Amino acid sequence: MINKINSVLFLSALVGMSSFFLFLPKQKLSEGEKRKLAVFPTFTFDTYLNGTWADSLDEFVDDHFPFRNKFISMAETFNSNKGIHLTHQEKIFIGKKRRGNTTNEEDTTHAKMNFKDDFDEAYSGSLLILDGSVYPVGGGNPKMSRFFSAMLNEYADKLRRRTRVLSAVAPLSSAFIPALKYRKYNTQNKETLLAIKSSLTNGAIFCDVFNELDKHANEKMFFSTDHHWNATGAYYAYVAFCRGAGFTPVDRDKMEKKIKYNFLGSLYQLTRDPSVKANPDTLVYYVPNVTTTAVRYNANNFDRPTKATVFSHASSGGNTYLTFLGGDAPLIKITTSVKNGKKAVVIKNSMGNAFAVYLISHYEEVYVLDFRYSNHNLLQLIERNNINDLIFALGMYGAQSQGTIGMMRRLATNNGVPKRKSTVQSDSNKVARPVKDTLKTN
Amino acid sequence: MVFSSLTFIYLFLPLALFFHYLSPNKLFRNISLTAFSLAFYAWEEPMWIYLMIFTAIFDYYMALLIERWRGDRKAKIILLVTILVNLSLLIFYKYGGFLYDNLSAIGQLPFDRPQNSLPVGISFYTFMVISYIVDVYRGQLKAQRNPLNFLMFISLFQHLVAGPIVRYSQIGSQVDSRSIDWTGFSNGISRFCIGLFKKIVIANVAGALVTKYLDAGFNDLSTIEAWFGITMFSVQLYFDFSGYSDMAIGLAKMFGFDFDENFRHPYAAQSVGDFYRRWHISLGKFFRDYVYIPLGGNRKLQLRNIMIVWLLTGIWHGASWNFALWGLYFGSFMIIEKLLEKFLKKVPRFLRHTYTLILIIFSRSIFYFVDFGQLKSFVGNLFYSTNSVSIGFKSDLFEHIFWFILVVLMCIPWDEIYPSDTKVNKEATRYYHMLKPAFNIAMLFLATMLLVNSSYNPFLYTRF
Repeated sequence: MINKINSVLFLSALVGMSSFFLFLPKQKLSEGEKRKLAVFPTFTFDTYLNGTWADSLDEFVDDHFPFRNKFISMAETFNSNKGIHLTHQEKIFIGKKRRGNTTNEEDTTHAKMNFKDDFDEAYSGSLLILDGSVYPVGGGNPKMSRFFSAMLNEYADKLRRRTRVLSAVAPLSSAFIPALKYRKYNTQNKETLLAIKSSLTNGAIFCDVFNELDKHANEKMFFSTDHHWNATGAYYAYVAFCRGAGFTPVDRDKMEKKIKYNFLGSLYQLTRDPSVKANPDTLVYYVPNVTTTAVRYNANNFDRPTKATVFSHASSGGNTYLTFLGGDAPLIKITTSVKNGKKAVVIKNSMGNAFAVYLISHYEEVYVLDFRYSNHNLLQLIERNNINDLIFALGMYGAQSQGTIGMMRRLATNNGVPKRKSTVQSDSNKVARPVKDTLKTN
Repeated sequence: MVFSSLTFIYLFLPLALFFHYLSPNKLFRNISLTAFSLAFYAWEEPMWIYLMIFTAIFDYYMALLIERWRGDRKAKIILLVTILVNLSLLIFYKYGGFLYDNLSAIGQLPFDRPQNSLPVGISFYTFMVISYIVDVYRGQLKAQRNPLNFLMFISLFQHLVAGPIVRYSQIGSQVDSRSIDWTGFSNGISRFCIGLFKKIVIANVAGALVTKYLDAGFNDLSTIEAWFGITMFSVQLYFDFSGYSDMAIGLAKMFGFDFDENFRHPYAAQSVGDFYRRWHISLGKFFRDYVYIPLGGNRKLQLRNIMIVWLLTGIWHGASWNFALWGLYFGSFMIIEKLLEKFLKKVPRFLRHTYTLILIIFSRSIFYFVDFGQLKSFVGNLFYSTNSVSIGFKSDLFEHIFWFILVVLMCIPWDEIYPSDTKVNKEATRYYHMLKPAFNIAMLFLATMLLVNSSYNPFLYTRF
């Protein structure tokens, strides 16, 4: 009798889950993981023979398994109960290898908007978890900075006398780990960013973001659970930018202060560490007293713009960082109530979102262009709109990888045509190539 | 496809069971099982399926010829040719690159380096067909007359990619006709769930620690961390492979086959010799019956025979000198144990166990580090390291402490401490029998929970 019960129960579990899998509607996005879920792979003889079809199908099953989120949440509980958690926690997290060979077209094109972040895609390395906060280990490589500077020099050369080129690259949060023994990462960050300055040759302006942030090292400038800086860190970067650009920064007291609670960001999603979960972030952000209208353009042209916002006050939970600009978009045009005739283009990855919102106090028009997604021609954009300042505002690893630098360089020659699949893949691979002792995060 | 994937558990397995039990007709069942087995293999190895089918067809006919000419010189010639062809395929596909690299170091070769990848399962099915052909030649088996049945025997998805090395003599009668009842099916389920639990809850967790301590910056490890890392690899290897074997045995039972045991609490061994009577038993038996005894076994040049068997055992695991070294390492200790047999018997049990465990855990470093430079550096750290204990080591120990206890409990040979005729064993068996539906569902649930959103986790032995 027991054997019958055992057999029937087991078979029912298999058949039940299979039926749920086959008949329940499939989700397209994972809000929690901020990524697009796998699509059913198209069968071709080639993909079958090289094994990618089977891999993609396995991935599809994994991504659409019934009650997936509940299982993930329960797995977290199991994993956090394999032992005892110490009060003072200090540990290293090594990222998992993702299943390889995902070549669905949608995954390699710009369709992943708002859910693609090169941090997640390019993650390779270790993370330090210290008292519930996650930090990348390392601080970049000064030798790699010259490639970014060379790209800035090229733009400065092309735009000589018409448009200023400014660099505002963010350090990693590892620069400000609150423990003396990690001081070396502070020095490493500093050297990496100053190396940009030392290689600028023809008028591009270096904004010393690191130095400004370092003055406030005792303040919380980066999220504990996310790889971005918070509004405070971005504000000090903005102060450094103003110093470089010759502007007077607007005091935060003159902006409207808003607060959001319980933000568990990308680094929590990656580590799933209970100490990180117990330490959710609070976002305090500042809204400049400027009236704005904003539109979002598609990746290729200016047809059919859609309404955009400088601040998305409704963003919450895991999407709290989308507060700034509503997330990533190929191109956003912000028109402000500041009537000084000045215009700027910000070339950025997601790190630049929290920074760009402060610029509305200084420009009549701000174009925010995400180099990862846009096929717009930057030089035409600058010329046609009489842009005064071209600002590169991004996270350190965007300025360290030849792949992402290549994307920024190609903005000069883009023609509104989507990049070919192979090109995009190649770029993506370059982004993913690890830089020694680094974690790629932008 | 791997047993520990959601695709296998929730799509492949229900379909394979459904079609197998759709009709009581023996032919239908064998066709269905063969088709599913080929689909299973072709899932990840579509390019190599022809090689496996060729091996099956070739050996099928050769066995028939051997049987026809039994007692004649022709049978011996065919036997030798068949073994040669099978071994040549194995050598070409598994050791081609390795041989090329070593021979080209001596002098330039007139051909390019073979670029093929290792066909999954070739090490296992080649040994299966060799054992079959030799047994037919020896007259211990009747050759299978039905080509479909022979193909099914070779391609059974339960053992195809990572063993155990099933002998035709074990399951030949079940290939032709098999009966299954609720008890057998239920036992198969229990065994499958235990294997799944071993793989997902133990081996994969140990694997994450191995990655952390042995992959990332092993040069910077302190001595205690180096021992911790290699101990975790020992845990991973055992639970990964024995988990796979449990799942294979369980799946076989679900379809009416009985495979022999492949593991018997190896980490409870009292000597190196004892260890290899408990670890990958089907491989050990293969070398014993088809290499060691034909070479003379205990009767003639025993020490030489031991070294040859162990060298081959090492090389079987991979095309790399470290595996040969690993084999020689164990061969040497087997010989030392033979020479000191009387002395070792007097050593307290606890000390024998400790000595064996240390030797085995240490040997895993030879197994893990294919590169001799890395191996040297790591072994150096095992004995002396000036590195301080890294960040997070303490956290890792505490955060896995319940799991460590579970691992130790699962390594203890409870059925040897409390044999089946003891009261404790009888009581435990009774309770387990009553609770096994709940246990199995709990293990399946736990494994599913950890598989969702997990990274790709193939079995370690599929690479050998």
